[in-house]
Amino acid sequence: MSSTAVLQAQKDEYDILREWMKAREFIYVGREVKRIDALEKVLGKSKYVEDHLVEGLTYARIVKSSIPHGIIQSIKPGRAVDHPDFIALVTSEDVPGLNQVGYYIPDQPALAERKVRFYGEPVALIVASKTRSAEELRELVEVEIKPLEAVFDPFEALKDRVLVHEEHGSNIVLRTRVRKGDAAKALQESDYVVENVYRAGHQDHAYLETEGALAIPMDGGMTLILPCQYPHLAQSIISRVLGVPQSKIRIIQPVVGGGFGGKDDMIPIVGAQAAIAAYKVRRPVLLTYTREDSFTSHCKRDPAYIRYRSGANKDGRLTVVDVDIIFDAGAYANRGPFTLWRATAHSTGPYEVPNVDARGTLVYTNKIYQGSFRGFGNPQIQFAAERQMDELAEKIGLDPVEFRLKNILRPGSRTSTNQLLEDSVGVGEALARVAEKCDWREKRRNYGKIVDGKARGIGVACAWHGISTSRGVPDWCNAYINVGKDGGVVIYTGIVEIGQGSHTGLIQIAAEVLGIPPEKINLVGGTSDAPDTGATHGSRGLSFGGTAILIAASKIRKSVQRVASRILECSPEDIEMKDGWVYSRSKPEKKITWEEAVKRCYAEGEEMTATGYFFMPKGRFDEEKGQGFAYIVFSYMVVAAEVEVDVETGLTRVLKVWPAICAGKIINPKLATTQINGAIMQGIGYTLMEEVKIEDGRILNPNFTDYLVPTIADLPEIEEPIFVEDYFKFGPFGAKGLAEMALIPIPAAIANAIKNAVGVGPLEIPYTSEKLFENLSRRGRR
Amino acid sequence: MIPKVEYYRFKALDDALRFLRQYPGSKILAGGTDLVVQLRSGKTAARKLVDISGIDELRYIRDEDGYIRIGALTTIEELKNSETVRDHAQLLWKAANNFAVWQIRNIATIGGNICNASPAADTVPPLIVLNARLRLQNVDRQREIKVEEFFKGPGETVMEKDEILTEIVIPKKDSGWRYSFIKLGKRHSHILSIVNVAVGLKTYKDMIEDVIVALGSVAPTPVRARSVEDYLKNHRITRTRLEEASQQVVKDIKPISDIRASAEYRIEMSKILVRRALNECLKNVFTT
Repeated sequence: MSSTAVLQAQKDEYDILREWMKAREFIYVGREVKRIDALEKVLGKSKYVEDHLVEGLTYARIVKSSIPHGIIQSIKPGRAVDHPDFIALVTSEDVPGLNQVGYYIPDQPALAERKVRFYGEPVALIVASKTRSAEELRELVEVEIKPLEAVFDPFEALKDRVLVHEEHGSNIVLRTRVRKGDAAKALQESDYVVENVYRAGHQDHAYLETEGALAIPMDGGMTLILPCQYPHLAQSIISRVLGVPQSKIRIIQPVVGGGFGGKDDMIPIVGAQAAIAAYKVRRPVLLTYTREDSFTSHCKRDPAYIRYRSGANKDGRLTVVDVDIIFDAGAYANRGPFTLWRATAHSTGPYEVPNVDARGTLVYTNKIYQGSFRGFGNPQIQFAAERQMDELAEKIGLDPVEFRLKNILRPGSRTSTNQLLEDSVGVGEALARVAEKCDWREKRRNYGKIVDGKARGIGVACAWHGISTSRGVPDWCNAYINVGKDGGVVIYTGIVEIGQGSHTGLIQIAAEVLGIPPEKINLVGGTSDAPDTGATHGSRGLSFGGTAILIAASKIRKSVQRVASRILECSPEDIEMKDGWVYSRSKPEKKITWEEAVKRCYAEGEEMTATGYFFMPKGRFDEEKGQGFAYIVFSYMVVAAEVEVDVETGLTRVLKVWPAICAGKIINPKLATTQINGAIMQGIGYTLMEEVKIEDGRILNPNFTDYLVPTIADLPEIEEPIFVEDYFKFGPFGAKGLAEMALIPIPAAIANAIKNAVGVGPLEIPYTSEKLFENLSRRGRR
Repeated sequence: MIPKVEYYRFKALDDALRFLRQYPGSKILAGGTDLVVQLRSGKTAARKLVDISGIDELRYIRDEDGYIRIGALTTIEELKNSETVRDHAQLLWKAANNFAVWQIRNIATIGGNICNASPAADTVPPLIVLNARLRLQNVDRQREIKVEEFFKGPGETVMEKDEILTEIVIPKKDSGWRYSFIKLGKRHSHILSIVNVAVGLKTYKDMIEDVIVALGSVAPTPVRARSVEDYLKNHRITRTRLEEASQQVVKDIKPISDIRASAEYRIEMSKILVRRALNECLKNVFTT
């Protein structure tokens, strides 16, 4: 169906969205409504997956490969069987359905079968009657693997001498391409061309709660307590491995201790593993990953190698971007085809570039596989793109902000894929306001001098980020609302609360439309009992999840207005709903309570349930031409970062960050600010210290002693964010996505600030103190 | 996984010592912040644990007869909160202030930090500079040993298998001494040192009368930088002298490359940190 046809079919829904977009006065939306889960969390009463104890519970641990590449000869329980707490050893032979958990490419088993492809790959599960015993017994399992030659370096892997998946015939998973104009010609004709090679390393999600799943065989199927990010995806993967219909798999969401994308990928897999074990032992199984298991065996942000050439003319206009991107997928493709596509499509940064040639290659290696992580392939490429903008500006002799503003995307611009951006493009305003707020010109003039062995610098970076899924991948949202006879409202949504606060924001949206206080609304989220709402990823939870709730709530509102208009003897259009009252706008003394109105709806045959299905009208991307529709909308982010570099040790401290975000209507500024602050911290870790050290495929630092995340002592001063509310026509009240945004430009902003401070421009992240020290030594600037 | 161990807990020092004499293969558990991690990762083979954390007679900070006496089971947090330590063992107090996190400081003990014999232990270079002595005891006798003679290598000390470290003895020095402790890690707190440096220094007019320099994490044991000390002692203080003295440190250290830093980086950082520590001691004294 074409996007026009979709719009036609959803005319009512579109009208609803347009009507609410006009609203400028709000009661709940745009307010700092307190998180609904705050008190329970503070009191330690929240129930995470491990807190759900059920009768007859058994405990499972993964048994891992200590060989990066090899043929499985045998897996035997060994002396484990003699232990009184031993219940079962579960291997690929116990999988009742299909041993396949690959996301896009069917290349990944739930438990290794025939081959292992990375060090730490789960080959079996040990099930015991106590956690401690499971931990002890897994050491006794005898796993015999015949080692094969392994390949760790993606460039070596490209030679296809050693194949990670021989049935695939090559280590190249796939290639991506975006083309526009004539890049080769433009490179020759541009006044200035800059070329650099950029590198980015792995990043671990380091969530407080590691992976876990509780599988309970019941009602002729399986119920799972699952801290996932997309219950219906987990449902379909688990149904596949068990070989039972999806209708027999029920997913319930516990409180989740952090997701960041990692649990989008991992929990369906861990849930499948738990379900296989529960199927075999016919008892509930709690499978949890220890912190070390989480480090060794859960997906990471994809390492990237980016050769970037870009050009501009003397007038300061960008002419061309020509880029090669290699993503190291590790042992399994997982989300690699999508992170790489996103990187390819976003390779220009948020700028108008007439000539683009971006080529991506996804490569298998015998290492931990890649996965979803806040930014999803985009932080790597925005690092390159925005470092490159500073290098180009320097070459032309322009101020970096001025250079960016000359080329920035505006309403009416066309993107790298030639997609027309009609509206909702606030990045130019965001950049100008950040520059003003941080006193950009003054600081750029004065910084870069060494005083007492220290040098200050300031840098800026922008980012754009397509919200939700790319290209023509079908995208929809839905919600179900049920109003009880007493006026109490229950919302069912597939959107998951992973710490970001979406459920609070979603309740605010419903409260605004129904004109009742948030306390009257209960929200059941993250469950397969709710309509399929798509995943809580791609910064779509509050925006797309909210669109569905807005539509469903508007349908209820219309029913109430119809009945109330009869009681109050006025037209339905004249009925206003606010603060729990239903009244006539023209004669406000004519009013009834919300409860009374609901009661009358029940009495007079008005339906008090509604769904809010909305199908996103997307276009098509032509893979052959490398042109077309990329994303339904983009959010934008600008950050300025100020650093202080100790020029003798290379230790960099981020002193201050000025964020600005274009995410349309801000539903809850407090939640937005906390998401921005958290993303900035995660970005600082990614840029300066987080490093997964791998030797012959083995992770050397699977612990928090040596995998360093920033602490409160590394926290910079973060200014209140600037909100540029560039409304999105399919978002609730115009809201777009936000949660990933602030991380994406941080690496380049810090790197550009380091360049400003000491004259050395980082080409790789993490840019540790030792690396900066080496580069400074080489430059002789110490 | 933590392997199966036999666990013994004692409330009296004598009982613990008798047990150690009888079972010399035992491992002493004080705070456990290092030992439990080592058990889990298989880095220690001990299967008999002697928990001495309940021996209250080894938990004290006393100021008597010109000495600061610290019971080996005193926690790092107690050092941090002690005015006696702050006033008379300032270097140790500085190290305690930069030590790990609150939760760790609350159970980690000074004795454990020393006996674990990590080359990166943050309390040790300060104790070397303070000329601290360690009191070791077994069922028969007590002996005292200079802290810098205590270490043999990573995780190895001269302590006998039946001995317990009971006390750290720090002689009070005259008020002419100035001190500096600097620690470099890969982030700004909660971090194992890449290099740590402690310096104590005493001037007479524009001369350096006495100086002690010790470093951690740059050799198999914490080390004293005698080359630096010799280069400075009885010399006039000049910027050049300090700079040259700092360069001498390479003769005293033997760092390795590991997951935290390369040997080359550690060498360069040692020179820089020694110079900074010396300068900090001379702040307000040195004006040329």
